[in-house]
Parts: sequence; C-alpha cells; structure tokens
Amino acid sequence: MPRKNAAKRPKLAREGVTGRLFFFLERAFLNIRQNVLVNLLTIGTIALAFLILSLALLIYVNLERVAECWSDRVQVNVYFEGDLSPSDLSALKSRIKAIKGTAGFDYVSREEALRRFRDRLKGQESLLEEVSAEILPSSLEIRLNRDSRDSESVARYVAQLRKVPMVTEVQYGEEWVKRFSQFMNLVRFAGLLVAGFIVVAVVFIVANTIKLTIYARKDEIELMALVGATRLFIKVPFLIEGVVQGVVGAALALLILSGVYLAFLHNADFLFSFKTMEAGFVFLSVPHLVAVLFGGAALGFIGSLASLKRFISL
Amino acid sequence: MFVSSFPIYQDIGEFRSVSMIQLHNVFLSYQNDGAALSNVTLSISKGEFVFLTGVSGAGKSTLLKLLYGALKPTKGQVVVEGVNISKLPSSKLPFLRRKIGVVFQDFKLLPARSVLENVALTLEVLGWGKRDIDKRVYHILKQMGIEHKIKTTPLRLSGGEQQRVAMARALVNEPRIILADEPTGNLDEESKEKILSILKEANIRGSTVIVATHDRRLIESCHKRLIVLDKGRVVEDSDAS
Repeated sequence: MPRKNAAKRPKLAREGVTGRLFFFLERAFLNIRQNVLVNLLTIGTIALAFLILSLALLIYVNLERVAECWSDRVQVNVYFEGDLSPSDLSALKSRIKAIKGTAGFDYVSREEALRRFRDRLKGQESLLEEVSAEILPSSLEIRLNRDSRDSESVARYVAQLRKVPMVTEVQYGEEWVKRFSQFMNLVRFAGLLVAGFIVVAVVFIVANTIKLTIYARKDEIELMALVGATRLFIKVPFLIEGVVQGVVGAALALLILSGVYLAFLHNADFLFSFKTMEAGFVFLSVPHLVAVLFGGAALGFIGSLASLKRFISL
Repeated sequence: MFVSSFPIYQDIGEFRSVSMIQLHNVFLSYQNDGAALSNVTLSISKGEFVFLTGVSGAGKSTLLKLLYGALKPTKGQVVVEGVNISKLPSSKLPFLRRKIGVVFQDFKLLPARSVLENVALTLEVLGWGKRDIDKRVYHILKQMGIEHKIKTTPLRLSGGEQQRVAMARALVNEPRIILADEPTGNLDEESKEKILSILKEANIRGSTVIVATHDRRLIESCHKRLIVLDKGRVVEDSDAS
C-alpha cells in the first residue's frame, strides 16, 4: 500500500558533535530542572560527604605544615676547637656542600657563640663574668633538605659528614630526630587510614545516592530505549547530570568549609586561647581545591555510569 | 484461513518481498513458567491491519514484545522489515525500534513531563530540531483532538486523553509498523471509536498495524484479519471478511 502524506523528515538540527553536545547539555539541565528536589537532595548529600573529606584534608594539610615547621629544627652541628681560618672554612664548606641533603649552613665563630650565650642568659650576666670566647668552640650549623630530615637520612648524612677532614665532633639531637620521625610516620599512617575510610564512605554514599536518583527515573530510561534511543543518547544526559551534581556538591562543600575555617580563625583566640595568626594555619591550596572539584566531577561521572549499567541492559 | 502453515523455507525470499513481519516456528518460555509462545508461525504483509486476540495470558503481549525486541525467542526466527530480531545485536535494536510505534497497555507516559515533551521524545531520539518537533507534535495532537492539552501533564488527563497522548507518541514519526497493546481497554465507546479511527487512518497512510485486544465488539466492527492465540499457539488466522 503506498504511503500517503508520510511525515517528511526535516533536516536534523542536532547533527554534528557540537549540535549533539548542545542537545545533551540542554537535556541534562532540563532534567535537573524537572527533578529539582531529587537533584537538591543528591547535591546536598554529595556536599556533606565532600565536606567531611575536605575537612579531613584541611586538618591533614595543617598537620603537615606544623610538622614541616618542627622539622626545620632538625639540624646538624659540627664543633671545632678553635676558630677556622678563612681558607680552611671555604674548603670545608665546599666539601659539605657536596654531601647530598645539605640545604645550607651558617658558621658560628667563638665570638658569635659567646654573644648567643649571653643573649640566652640575659638577667644572669654575673654567671658569665669569667667566661671568655676562647673557652667556647666555633661551629658550623648545617640545615638539611626537607626529604633528608628523617632519622635514617640524618644518620646517613652524619656518617658522610664524619668522613670530611677537620670534622671531629658532630651533634644532631639523635633522640629528638628519632622521636620526631616516629611521630611523623604515625601521623602519616593515621592520616592515610582515616583518608582511606573517608574516601570509601564518600564513594559509597555518592554512588548510592546517584543510583537512587537514576532508579527514580528508570521508567524514563526504559521508555527512551523503547522509542529507539541508543545507549549513548540515554546515558550522556545522565552522565552530565552526575558531573554537575558532583561539581556543585563539591563546590558547596568547599564553600561551607571556607566559612567554617574563617569562623574558626575569628573565634579560636577566644575559644582556645591561642593566636591563630601565629599558629600559621592555612586553607587548602589551589591545587587541593581543584582536586576536590575534580574528585566531585569524577565521582559523579563514575557513580552515574555504574548506576546506568544496571538499568540499561539494552 | 490465511497462513497458519508457513510456506516452505525455499520460498522465503519471495515471501519476504511482501512480508513486513514473519515469525517462523517461534517458541518462547519464561524462566519459571511454561511456554508463553509455542510454535508460532505467521506472516503479516506490508500495509496490513491485524487484530491479535485471545484470553488473558494467551500470549498477545508477549508476541508484541517479540516484535519490538523487548524479548527474544527461545527458539525460532522473528523477522521484522527484513531484520532477524533473534540475531540482532542490541546496539542495532534502537534503529529498528525507530520504525515501530508502540502503544503500551499502561501508556508509559512520563508523569513529570508535559504532553508536548512526552510526544516529542520520539522525535528527539531521531534528532529533530526543537522548532520542527513543536510543529509536528502540535499537528499530531490536533489530529487526536487534544492539542489544547499540549502543556498539561498526563496526570491531569482523563484515561481516554492519556491513551491518545500515548497514541500520538507512537504515531508522531509515522512509523512503518504500529503495535497497539489493548489500546481501547477501559475506555468509553466514544474514545474507543476515536482510537480506532486514528489507527485506521495510520493504516491508510501506509503503516502496518497490529492491535492486540480481547474486545470482540471492536474486532467485529472492523472486518480485518484476525489472529487468535490460545496458550501461546495460533489457533485461528482468519482473513478480513
């Protein structure tokens, strides 16, 4: 039978990559508008999950910073019986500079040592009446690179240092460095453990929340497949929606976190009686912020993809 | 009687040229139940109007599901528009479905979307532009007599109106095949008449129409080919009288 007045297929308006992408974006935002409540709940859940994650990250970053400040105290001192001649000093400096892990050094002459001693005993000058610079040793204070401040590296460094001629007496607070290393290892291990738990919980919560939102629209997915939509056509708007939810949720979390951080800075003086400015607290750095937002996007994308797999069997 | 015995296999080539739909020794059984379809062999020509009838559970809906690829036969061949659905990879299925308009028994309308958006879905999938979609959807809704409900959501419509929206969604792209599962169930006489005339009109335009129904009065008023199923078997296949 001939087809009369068959619907003429108009030129497709959404052809080409840009046209398709524009359509998918439009569809994703329309879906969000049409399911505002579900989307708000999802974004809220993601925001809460990411708030916990970014708070943990903020605490970790500040702990690391404190540890870094403390680690500046790791230094190796080499003592000499008399003052060194300029030629000896420059030969010594070039040898020490060549040792791996040297960040810098300061030469402390006998006079300088006495001056420091006097500074420390201010108010009790009588104790120093008989003391002259001659009885004090001169020394070289060596600062180490950040990655050479753990007890093993320091021990290795000192062993190298002892091989240098003229170096006889070396002190580096062995016990303190050892304890500091142990403490840092503990902090890092606990940090990793807590971060691991939080990441697993966040992935679980976000993936399940997204699964619920997709489950709520399984009829729509089924219908689209029945009217001839390809898998890609069905999936892409949902994936975009997932990414939007993830990014907005993560951004919201960062916004709340920055609010909490500022409130803490303003009230810590009063509540915890310490000067926050002196404590040197820092907020998350730009790479951290980008990583959290990217994490949100990735989680939204993967969560949606995994959930869609269950519902799109065709 | 029409074809309750399928032509011998060598003749399929010639047969296919006029056949829109062919089922050859089709068996289908669900996991726990017995056979839903048993040794079904039939052929439906291009442009035909066919009623599929039988008591509840006879296999009408199952047969329709086979035709739009929602189910695959346990055994046998299902060929639609020259495509063997039994062997069709799932990635190719959407392209076949675009040629088939399905009116579901439960309408399957999206409650949160307007009538326009529900009907537009079929054309969006095909990649039509918004302006063309709006024009075409308005046109089909006008044919159905519900163009004034274009912005309403399905929940605010009567049963008959919802059925017409479902019909509009199936017909909007003028598919080659229209499958309607109980399209007049629970409707008043006036709505039934309207639905039937829409289907007949689509048939006149060239679509092959298969209507699954157990409404005897509807079948008798039409004088079209009738296929009767019972316990998954074709027990009668009578030509239009």
